[in-house]
Amino acid sequence: MGRGGRDTSTESPDAPTSAPATAGALLRRALRRNGRDLGRGYPLLTLWQLSETLVPVVIGLVVDQAVDGGGLGDLAWTLGVLVALFVVLSNGYRYGARFIKQGIEREAHALRVEVAGHVLHPRGARTDRLAGETLSIATSDADLVPMALHQLGYAIASLVAVLVTAAYVLRVDVVLGLLILLGVPAVLVAIQALAPLVARRTARQQESTAAASGLAADLLEGLRPLKGIGGEDVALRRYRVASTRASDDTVAVARSWGYLDGFTTALSGLLLAAVALLAGRRALDGDISLGELIALVGLTQFLAEPLRGLGDVSAQFAASRASAARIVDFLATPRILAPGGRTPSEDRPELVLEDVTAGPLAGLSLHLRNDELVAVAVDDPAVSDALVALLSGDLDLVSGRARLGDVELAELSVAGRRRHLLVVSHHGGITEGTLRTTVDPGGQHDDGALAPALAASAADDVVRLHPDGLDRPVRAGGSSLSGGQRQRLALARALATDRPVIVLQDPTSAVDAVTEQAVAEGVRRLRTGRTTLVLTSSPALLRAADRVLVVREGRVVAQGTHADLLRDADYREAVDR
Amino acid sequence: MSPTPQADQLLPVADGRSTTRVAWRLLRARRGSLALTVTAFLVTGFAGIVPVLMIGRVVDVVRDDGSFTDVLVPVGVMLAAAVVAAVSTTVSTAALARTVAPALAELREEVLDRALHLDSQQLEAAGVGDVLGRVGDDVRRVTESLDEAIPMLLTSVSAIAFTVGGLFTLDWRLGLAGLAAAPGYVLGMRWYLPRSIPFYRAERTAEGARAEVLVTGVRDAPTLRAFGVEDVALERVERRSGDAVAITLDVFRLYTRLGARMNASECVGLVVVLATGYALVSTGSASVGDATAAALFFHRLFNPIGAVLYVFDAAQASGAALARLAGVALIPPRDVAPVDAGPEPVLTLQGVHHAYETGRPVLARIDLTIRPGEHVAVVGATGAGKSTLGGIAAGTLRPTGGRVRLGALDVTTAPEPVVRRHVALVSQEVHVFAGSLRDNLLLARADADDEALWRALETTDAAGWARTLPQGLDTVVGDLGHPLTPAQTQQLALSRVALLDPQVVVLDEATAEAGSSGARELEQAASAVTRGRAALVIAHRLTQARTADRVLVMEDGAVVEEGRHEALLRAGGRYAQLWAAWSDTGEQPVGQA
Ligand SMILES: Nc1ncnc2c1ncn2[C@@H]1O[C@H](COP(=O)(O)OP(=O)(O)O)[C@@H](O)[C@H]1O
Ligand SMILES: [Mg+2]
Repeated sequence: MGRGGRDTSTESPDAPTSAPATAGALLRRALRRNGRDLGRGYPLLTLWQLSETLVPVVIGLVVDQAVDGGGLGDLAWTLGVLVALFVVLSNGYRYGARFIKQGIEREAHALRVEVAGHVLHPRGARTDRLAGETLSIATSDADLVPMALHQLGYAIASLVAVLVTAAYVLRVDVVLGLLILLGVPAVLVAIQALAPLVARRTARQQESTAAASGLAADLLEGLRPLKGIGGEDVALRRYRVASTRASDDTVAVARSWGYLDGFTTALSGLLLAAVALLAGRRALDGDISLGELIALVGLTQFLAEPLRGLGDVSAQFAASRASAARIVDFLATPRILAPGGRTPSEDRPELVLEDVTAGPLAGLSLHLRNDELVAVAVDDPAVSDALVALLSGDLDLVSGRARLGDVELAELSVAGRRRHLLVVSHHGGITEGTLRTTVDPGGQHDDGALAPALAASAADDVVRLHPDGLDRPVRAGGSSLSGGQRQRLALARALATDRPVIVLQDPTSAVDAVTEQAVAEGVRRLRTGRTTLVLTSSPALLRAADRVLVVREGRVVAQGTHADLLRDADYREAVDR
Repeated sequence: MSPTPQADQLLPVADGRSTTRVAWRLLRARRGSLALTVTAFLVTGFAGIVPVLMIGRVVDVVRDDGSFTDVLVPVGVMLAAAVVAAVSTTVSTAALARTVAPALAELREEVLDRALHLDSQQLEAAGVGDVLGRVGDDVRRVTESLDEAIPMLLTSVSAIAFTVGGLFTLDWRLGLAGLAAAPGYVLGMRWYLPRSIPFYRAERTAEGARAEVLVTGVRDAPTLRAFGVEDVALERVERRSGDAVAITLDVFRLYTRLGARMNASECVGLVVVLATGYALVSTGSASVGDATAAALFFHRLFNPIGAVLYVFDAAQASGAALARLAGVALIPPRDVAPVDAGPEPVLTLQGVHHAYETGRPVLARIDLTIRPGEHVAVVGATGAGKSTLGGIAAGTLRPTGGRVRLGALDVTTAPEPVVRRHVALVSQEVHVFAGSLRDNLLLARADADDEALWRALETTDAAGWARTLPQGLDTVVGDLGHPLTPAQTQQLALSRVALLDPQVVVLDEATAEAGSSGARELEQAASAVTRGRAALVIAHRLTQARTADRVLVMEDGAVVEEGRHEALLRAGGRYAQLWAAWSDTGEQPVGQA
């Protein structure tokens, strides 16, 4: 609806994402995008498997040509063939396996980055998962998916080995050849019956593993509150339940593999016995020679290996698919910000809400003019949270309008938002790094440029306090800082962006009253000529504002300067301490 | 900037001997299923040899021109062996998992147990990712390795034993010829093992670092996005993941080079066996059949020997992971003979001082006594050391020096559960734990019934909103469920204290995060929770100081003023200044004050 210009610089964050829609598509893409590695690895691996298959045949050659009455020259050249075969075999595996491993690791890496990138997308993602669960998806599932590439390589190689064996046997004896050609597929088909079981159990195991990881991460995140009440042991009992469930599911997966492998073992044993029986009979009948008999059974016996591999393939594939499905589901979770493509045409747009209903907001209107410092005094923290969520794009309008300059908030591009608007909720987290990266995460300012923001938020003394100054290390979550220091640094970080419109929620709730007054004055000073909205009940901040909006039950019920409003008994009561 | 903790801040890694001890302890507890596993795999290995022996019998029958019925016996045995192998495969796979999975589950639970009981300072320095990497990636690595390696090891060892035996029974000279391959194998392993160990260790550390950046990136995503730096965090994930991949590929490259060496040994062995066969046959001291069989037997050794080598490799990889798990599991629990503080204990801090970083004290010598039922408020500028003092008084932070006693109890050395029976701390950091409202409350007292839970909620005035929740106590709260306001979160924290019912409470700015109007309600909740107990209240809202029996004013880690509200006001010092700022409702516009 807005008239703002189209934003061309932000095509990527605002464009729809193109994650695969199904587990199958994800696996196909894995195959496609690792074509280079796999295109080299698979043939080499096949060459290796083929050479392995040929070793008994060459042994037969040596025996035939040399051992059985041949001369030293015969021995020399046949052994030469054997050595040559080993050279091919060894290098085939060495390089084939490397290429495949490379493809697998690259795919796992790409998936991991994709999962992280989904959460760390400029428009965010509403994944509804705990951080620890996401971690599990980005590691455990991302590693399991490309195992399908591994399986496929060995399946192709095994298949070739089976075909070569069958061809060799066919040449010697049609009936036996047919037995192998028909028997092997029959065994494989029979085994398929168990693949879904493996897949189902694998999916459940991945789920419960992620749940355990999610729980562990959540407990560790709440470590300080937890320790304060000595909840470690109860927490641990809870983790033990999750961990035991994951372990039970792991056993269940192994059990299904046991069925599958047992079944494969039985069937390939059966096939071998059948070949031995038939070959023995034909040898007794004189249809094949003793040497041929040995070669035949030798080969069939060798078949057990690729057969087992082929039997596992579909189950492994199914397991990879289960993980692929979990990743697809994850990547399909919705973005937080709408894919708007507009950016306000003015440099300093106004922020306007008209009759907004959303969550606890019930007909809220506010008009934030240029250069104003406006405070909103809210009676209910839930309303304050809703307002912050609405402005950060995390809550959708039910009715009414919300716009920044000439652009509806829902149509705002990521770049447009970042150029003009900053919304800081009171739990705006501190990330790991140094004081400098904390207040200037983008690394855009030099120390001189940071100084005013630090001074305005009274965070300059935090910098002064430590010999390392701005290079003082900061732990994840700011756990190496005091609560008030965290809050002041978060405020400094917001102010340092110098965005035209800044919304601050309770920026001084953990700061003492004297500092609070300094901060109020600092914010006012620094934001002169800019637009600022502060959600607060702090008299210092309310006083610093040009205008105070009083919000009750989701609507603005009064406005004026703090001094004027103080004449109203209700307001006095609301902000009085 | 340092995106991950220093190596020396990471949690410990056990040495080889301790790792083995831990592994052995876990396995010994599962002796039964371990024995079943080993037996079943040995049976599988044996059943795998039977067909080879039986094929030999078939060949014999053909060579001796026997009858078809003579073939039936070995074929029948083969069938039976197939059935046995099938059953033992199924049994062994399940038995292995039943041994390994619960053992590892126990280990990861121990790891989390130690981690949760660690000093929170130590854990925060190491990073949550370090623990998560261990209970996640490391456990997975061990599981995968063992699931593959143990079956390989057991079936291979039996296969090798039987095959080598077979080789020697054919002809001892042919057997000796086969041994020509042995030096190659041994040299290969001696080349490989020492080279791969550092890689595996580095790989584990790299994956730990990867977990750290992943979990912090996900957690900080909203903030990172707001400031337009989510790409920096993503890059970090990409880099860490890339580091781990590079190491994994390096060690795999090394492994394939080992493979080439093994192939060379196989080739040498096979050539020697065949050449020996040639020599023996040409001198008439062995038959062509024996020479053939010897070569085929030797060929059959390739897979099992390769498997044994793989097992060595897997043992290295899982050993590196296991060492990280054992490192944490072996952290001794804080353990001194439990003492009871006794009834009505007095909390005393004597000459307490603290420095988080050596040489940078944040708390000067502090002496403080809180008698039963006494309420002491602590006020002061941010960063003055209030939370540090609170943590020390509550025993969640061990001071660098000084003594903290609660009645008969030495708070600094007593086991945490003992301290927690007497003192509770509501930390400045708030957290809604994933789960239901009940889950959140029961953390304080697992055996509390619903009635007790509601009573606790009523104490803090939370019962009102709690009753309106869609599923009552079973409503999932927090980010993934029904969102709670900061005030409600704090009420929940206070309700937990009410449930715990300690003699002493430390409230660290328990009303601060509520921001706006919720603060006054929280103040009531806080006073309800502290009623009848000794309390150290770190107060941002000075109304809490006014009602306290005593107020401590802190500045730069020292107590600069102490006394009752009125007295301090009269003194006109730092407190009076704070109070003036606090009670200023701002009737004067800025600049005109
Ligand atoms: N884990 C830590 N490592 C290093 N310094 C810390 C750590 N925790 C707190 N500090 C520092 O100790 C001082 C006192 O902090 P704190 O006790 O939290 O202050 P407050 O009075 O605001 O509660 C601050 O300067 C803070 O930066
Ligand atoms: Mg504090």
